[in-house]
Amino acid sequence: MTELNQTDLRVLTTGDKRAWDTFVTAAAPLINAVVRRTLSSYRLGEDDVLDAAQDVFVRLCAQDFRLLKTYDPARAGLGTWLAVVARSAAVDHFRRRRQATQPLDEVPESVLGVEDKHVEKLKIPQGLLTDRQTLILKCLYDEERDVAEVALLLKIDAQTVRSTHHKALLRLRAHFGEEPA
Amino acid sequence: MSTKRTPRTDKELWRSLAPDGDTAPAAVSDLDFAAWLDGRLPEAAAAPVEAAVAADPGLRRAGLELADVLGKPLPAAPDRLAVRAQALVGFEAERQIPGGSGFLGRLFSSGTRYALQRAAMAGMAIVIAGSGFVVGGGLGESFAQERYGTTVGATSTTTTSNEFSEFFASDGI
Repeated sequence: MTELNQTDLRVLTTGDKRAWDTFVTAAAPLINAVVRRTLSSYRLGEDDVLDAAQDVFVRLCAQDFRLLKTYDPARAGLGTWLAVVARSAAVDHFRRRRQATQPLDEVPESVLGVEDKHVEKLKIPQGLLTDRQTLILKCLYDEERDVAEVALLLKIDAQTVRSTHHKALLRLRAHFGEEPA
Repeated sequence: MSTKRTPRTDKELWRSLAPDGDTAPAAVSDLDFAAWLDGRLPEAAAAPVEAAVAADPGLRRAGLELADVLGKPLPAAPDRLAVRAQALVGFEAERQIPGGSGFLGRLFSSGTRYALQRAAMAGMAIVIAGSGFVVGGGLGESFAQERYGTTVGATSTTTTSNEFSEFFASDGI
């Protein structure tokens, strides 16, 4: 990742062959990992992983490096931005690849999962929870992630996730007149 | 019999509630999302991104997956992947050369790779063409054909037909 963040974007976007080759060598492991991870739940083969990764590089250099020129190093790390671009390209690749008559067994459960809309739920009034509190509760209970994963996502320590979660639950219980379990 | 309700767990309570979902999540650009993942956004700028991530399950999963991938050592990519990607940007010599698109322009343009090889190839082509011209009789033959075209043609045709007749006659055909 260090090599990647040392990329000279000015030279790279002029179409310099040597700069492009160095960039590809540095970026390939990250793009490969992101595409592989994104497509893993769709059970696509190795060729699809390679094609989707190639799509990422095509996007980056297409139309005289137009996409690469939109990247601003002052705002985000090159690796993180590339990971976001790679994930989006992998999802697009899957959508193109998906056949209209895909057998039901091949569709991941997460895609088929449907929330039961018949259960009447009490609405959480706007402003009761902060955006961060809502996000933490959704990650913990809707996505069923553990505290460490949420901490990694938000770049905060696990204890902060726990205390934010605790405060959010106290607010909810106070508002809806619930006793703690 | 007690009428007291059994307290619900945190998860049960959350699942019985519906976060305010009337407002559609705001669109988040790739660069904003990356900046948020890097933890580079100030609190005020991070709040709308967090609201969008909280409201959009796809964005939430993307964030969790990317944070996981970025937080781990990366395995090496297959060689094929890098080779194919490197081929997307061509070599300098394959690109359009500025300042002359014709053969001579390409051959003699400065700062071009392989100029020496090209010049050598062109020189060899000239030598081969010249040799062929000389071996074929050069200009003298052309002038002779122009001046005595009909006679020379008739003679050579006759000679050729006689040679063929003798050849077949010797084989008894």
